[in-house]
Amino acid sequence: MDKADILVGIASYNNAKTIDHVVRAVDAGLAKYFSAKKAVIVNSDGGSRDGTQDIVKTTTLDHAAMFLTYPVYPAHRISMPYDGIPGKGSAFRLIFQKAVEMQADACCVVDADLRSITPEWIELLLSPVIKGGFDFVAPLYSRHKYDGTITNSIVYPMTRALYGQRIRQPIGGDFGFSGRLAEFYLKQNVWETHVARFGIDIWMTTEAVANGFKVCQTFLGAKIHDPKDPGADLADMLLQVVVTLFNLTGKYFDKWKDIKGSVNVPACGFRYHVGLEPVKVNVKNMLDIFREGVDNLKLIWTNVLGPGDFGEVEAISHQPDDKFRFPLGLWTRVIYDYASAYHKKIMSSEHLIKSLAPLYLAKTASFIMEAADMDHEGAEAEIEKLCMEFEEKKEYLVNNWR
Amino acid sequence: MDNFINLLFQPFRNFWASLAAFLPNLFAMLLIILSGFLIAWLARKLFLRLFTAINFDVWCDKAGLTAIIRKGDIWTRPSDFFGRIIYLIFIIIFLMIGLSALRLPTIGNLTSQFFLYMPRALSALFILIIGYIIAGFVARGILIAAVNSGYHYAKLLAEAVRVLLIVLILAMALEQFGIAPGVVIAAFSIIFGGIVLSLAIAFGVGGIDTAKRIIEKRLEEKKEEKGNIEHL
Repeated sequence: MDKADILVGIASYNNAKTIDHVVRAVDAGLAKYFSAKKAVIVNSDGGSRDGTQDIVKTTTLDHAAMFLTYPVYPAHRISMPYDGIPGKGSAFRLIFQKAVEMQADACCVVDADLRSITPEWIELLLSPVIKGGFDFVAPLYSRHKYDGTITNSIVYPMTRALYGQRIRQPIGGDFGFSGRLAEFYLKQNVWETHVARFGIDIWMTTEAVANGFKVCQTFLGAKIHDPKDPGADLADMLLQVVVTLFNLTGKYFDKWKDIKGSVNVPACGFRYHVGLEPVKVNVKNMLDIFREGVDNLKLIWTNVLGPGDFGEVEAISHQPDDKFRFPLGLWTRVIYDYASAYHKKIMSSEHLIKSLAPLYLAKTASFIMEAADMDHEGAEAEIEKLCMEFEEKKEYLVNNWR
Repeated sequence: MDNFINLLFQPFRNFWASLAAFLPNLFAMLLIILSGFLIAWLARKLFLRLFTAINFDVWCDKAGLTAIIRKGDIWTRPSDFFGRIIYLIFIIIFLMIGLSALRLPTIGNLTSQFFLYMPRALSALFILIIGYIIAGFVARGILIAAVNSGYHYAKLLAEAVRVLLIVLILAMALEQFGIAPGVVIAAFSIIFGGIVLSLAIAFGVGGIDTAKRIIEKRLEEKKEEKGNIEHL
């Protein structure tokens, strides 16, 4: 297979509605910003039945209508199904394989369901690798203050406290990375584990950070994608992300145990705020589920949190809905207790993490009410307070770990 | 006269001959039982070491076996408890082997029956232990899923499933034990069917208003906007 300078990976599964836009944006980005480089677009498909692969192969772009010049090397496209366990992780494995085979210098992956991707995203994800010498480029998005609550209340604070690097969107889904890092990813023995199915985003970020690769962030603007399946279960989403997060916490204990505080990660791109769609929330429903949890999951929660913290959880459940608040210190201990319980394997990992869902909903409800009258900066300041709490209480996790 | 004396002493001679033939068997039995005690003691020690090495107590805590033992008012560590059971099993086995050394037809039949029954008893015990763990696991999964769905009777549902599974497991174990299998199957069918029927009657007739309210509430909840927050 010929050498390529750049590889762009798109993992897809039944994305016929959006993939045309994504491929055109990628193609335009490569033509506009990297016209002198040999580029290839790899579509790693999970067996779509809606013609996604055909669209990838046939989507055309009239370069003359967009640019004054044609690219020297028009981007070559490969669309193929991946083998192995069905999942985004297996799709990414194929992309890493192609990157290594083609000895690509810089790569990026973008979601196939994106509606807001522009040609600039390709430049923003690849330039830090090509020009800045970075190995891993994490995305920064403009998001509604209520969106990304698993990221804001669990993944970001914990990743930041553990590894000491402030990567704001560790599970963003759109990443840039060097060929060297692709080779490192490919060599890891995880492709027959749950990482092949889900959790690839947090896995990529954590592996890059924990293994000392040069990391930066890039501002991509708003992230709008095809509406997710409304029937998707929150507990399943939580399970997919948190299992990988906790597994990596166990794997890299020796690397994170002595890290104190955190440092900023360099950020590229032009920051701006965009008008975002309003988000509807049902706080009452969240608190009802939390109170069901207090009534029914007492044994499990006492086992995980200990009687003291369970008592505090029980106490806050008696607060009226409109004044409900989940203290930051308590939430931090809850997450650290769950991480320790997962490490000590006190029960099946699925039961353990799914039992976190009512607590997470309570924390989310609390944040929504606190941030109701806040602007974007105010909401970010609240998240910053939580992160500081995670950093200050890290010793609690280290002490409970053994 | 000689005949009479012979007649008089013959039973004593016979007794002496039988005793002489029996005594080595008796000594053999005593030796087997004594060595059985020694082997049982050694086996217990060996298993205790193995249990410590594999963190058996922690495993029992996680699997819920410690809780079962505690319910039986036994407060020793699970490893000690199972160590004692192993000790007792060895003692019983050597006792049976020792008794068979007496070569008495009645005891011989008893021991052969005992050894024929052993595999069934062990498999029944295995079914009970594994079944109890599975019932606990399934009930806990249902409890968590029901809570996360906002179902108001989560604990009741989980307990109902646990009880039904335990009834099923008990029936399986008793059938394996070979205790009146026909009666066990009939009893199981009556109990299981009875529970399901009584639940259906209670919910459908006795609690018709409650059932109506629950169904209406679920339908309303479905209609209600649940929000479009993106968690990831």
